[in-house]
Amino acid sequence: MRHKKLIRLVRIRKLQTFFKLCIYFVLICISFTYLEPIFRMISMALMSGKDIIDPSVEWLPKHLSINNLKVAAQVLNLKKTLFNSIWFSALLAAAQTLVSALTGFALSRFRFRFKRIWFILIILSFIIPVPLLMIPRLMLFIQAQGILGVKLIGTPIPQVLMALLGQGVNSTILILIFHNFFNMIPYSLDEAAMIDGAGQFQVFFQIAMKLSASTVLVVFLFSFVWNWNETYVSGTLVRNSIELLPAKLNIFDSVFQTYASSTRGNAQFRINEAYKMSATLISIVPLLILYAFVQKRFIEGIENTGITGE
Amino acid sequence: MKKRKTFRQRQNRYGYLFMAPWIIGFLVFTAFPFLATIYLSFTNVRQTVRGFEITFTGFGNYITAFFENVEFVPALLNFLRMIIPYTFVIVIVSFLLAYMLNKIRFARGLLRTIYFLPVIIMSGPVMYQIMDSRSSAAVEGIDTFAEFSDIFIVEMIYSYSKQAAMFLIDIFSELSIILWFTGIPIILFINGLQKINPSILEAARIDSANSWQILWKIIIPMIKPIAQVSTIFTIANLGTFSTNPVYDLIKDATEQTTDSLGMASTYAWIYSLIVLIIIGISFLIFRNRDKEGGT
Repeated sequence: MRHKKLIRLVRIRKLQTFFKLCIYFVLICISFTYLEPIFRMISMALMSGKDIIDPSVEWLPKHLSINNLKVAAQVLNLKKTLFNSIWFSALLAAAQTLVSALTGFALSRFRFRFKRIWFILIILSFIIPVPLLMIPRLMLFIQAQGILGVKLIGTPIPQVLMALLGQGVNSTILILIFHNFFNMIPYSLDEAAMIDGAGQFQVFFQIAMKLSASTVLVVFLFSFVWNWNETYVSGTLVRNSIELLPAKLNIFDSVFQTYASSTRGNAQFRINEAYKMSATLISIVPLLILYAFVQKRFIEGIENTGITGE
Repeated sequence: MKKRKTFRQRQNRYGYLFMAPWIIGFLVFTAFPFLATIYLSFTNVRQTVRGFEITFTGFGNYITAFFENVEFVPALLNFLRMIIPYTFVIVIVSFLLAYMLNKIRFARGLLRTIYFLPVIIMSGPVMYQIMDSRSSAAVEGIDTFAEFSDIFIVEMIYSYSKQAAMFLIDIFSELSIILWFTGIPIILFINGLQKINPSILEAARIDSANSWQILWKIIIPMIKPIAQVSTIFTIANLGTFSTNPVYDLIKDATEQTTDSLGMASTYAWIYSLIVLIIIGISFLIFRNRDKEGGT
């Protein structure tokens, strides 16, 4: 009797391990599908000219060379665009972090009139497609340019202003992250501070912000990455006067064409392809490095939006 | 003596004080443009030295968009053909992946990190380059259908209906692009799955439910709100993603600020209306099912 039960148990165990192995198999296969474009970029970027034309070379280059990367970096004007992209994204991210913190704090701490309506509007503002808003925004800034007599289009001012007023990329998600984190700070801390004579702004800066240093970092990083990847708004408002890395990648084909025709006649199609892939790789490497260090925080950040909680 | 404010008044004041930047921004940069675009879509905007000259043209722009411009309607149809199947596939695949990720323990963090990676690096130009390299590979001689036609199931479906087969092939050939949109939904689903109380599952198991029944009767109904959030998120994400064909049209029209801003806002408005309608439909789908489940 006991013996039979044991056999059954062992069988179930075996079945379970078998299922687990199946799951691992599927998941690992899929993770390769995710990474395939990146692998493709890396392998093409490291191929020498010979390998690219050689049809027998699929993934692993026979002769390693970083020539493709060099050319791509040159066409992208890497030094300048990288620097521009970093400060531009960081500036916008700082502005967005500040305003999201303020808004999140207001939603979590105060009971004010029409709060629910504002909350719904914050969420609705996420699903409005950006192109719908861009045209009047552009006209607004052109008008303001005329009235104030200051050049606005082509400078970072419009975008910084929009970020500072909470209308940057994916602002809603950033606000929700803060809102949820502030909800977790016990209100009695605020009360204690207020009894000691702190005002609301002191509570915000001295208590809420200091406790949420890690959340501030997460929001800043998300905002940084999203602003880095954002090309539509910056393409309309900043255009070409500040050369940003992703925007440069966008026009890589045409820039490369002039470059190629001036230096080496007509480059072959596959070689062209390799340069493009190298350029793409270059433009995502800074983000990959960032992700390698703080990947856990990014995932936690999305988990803490609280969309899944209620 | 200054009159002291009540607690509620103070709460109200501080609430609005902290919300002020966002509210101003919302009114100036979101609410006003939203209404302005609707108005502008019926007008012709010309930029002159003194400012913008707006003349009302009625439905002129709409007629141009639908009947005269040869690019707009195909671009719109292409967009619809992309967004509807993509959304289904993304939500279902991300649920399946989250479900499987939730079953395992070893190397879960690593796999999750890989699945989330595209969220960080995905941008319009990057996607454009990847898609471009694929389509040019297809031009080079690797036909997408030829690649899949030796698979038995595809052949079988092909013999019944050519369109269904082509549709499947489309999805599979773009799978790694589609998968790149699953990053955030997967995290949401995993988070939701972990919040399901294990004692409920245990109770079901004691009542001799097998895992298939548990999946359909307990997990899926409980995960439905998250599926809704993910669906809306996915539609919004796809809808605002800049590789879609309608964007190029809008962008081209926006860049010529001298006289085509009215046209651009017509395009933008039609496009956004469609996205919003799709989101609305997804809302309805989830609500109806909820009611059926409730009774």
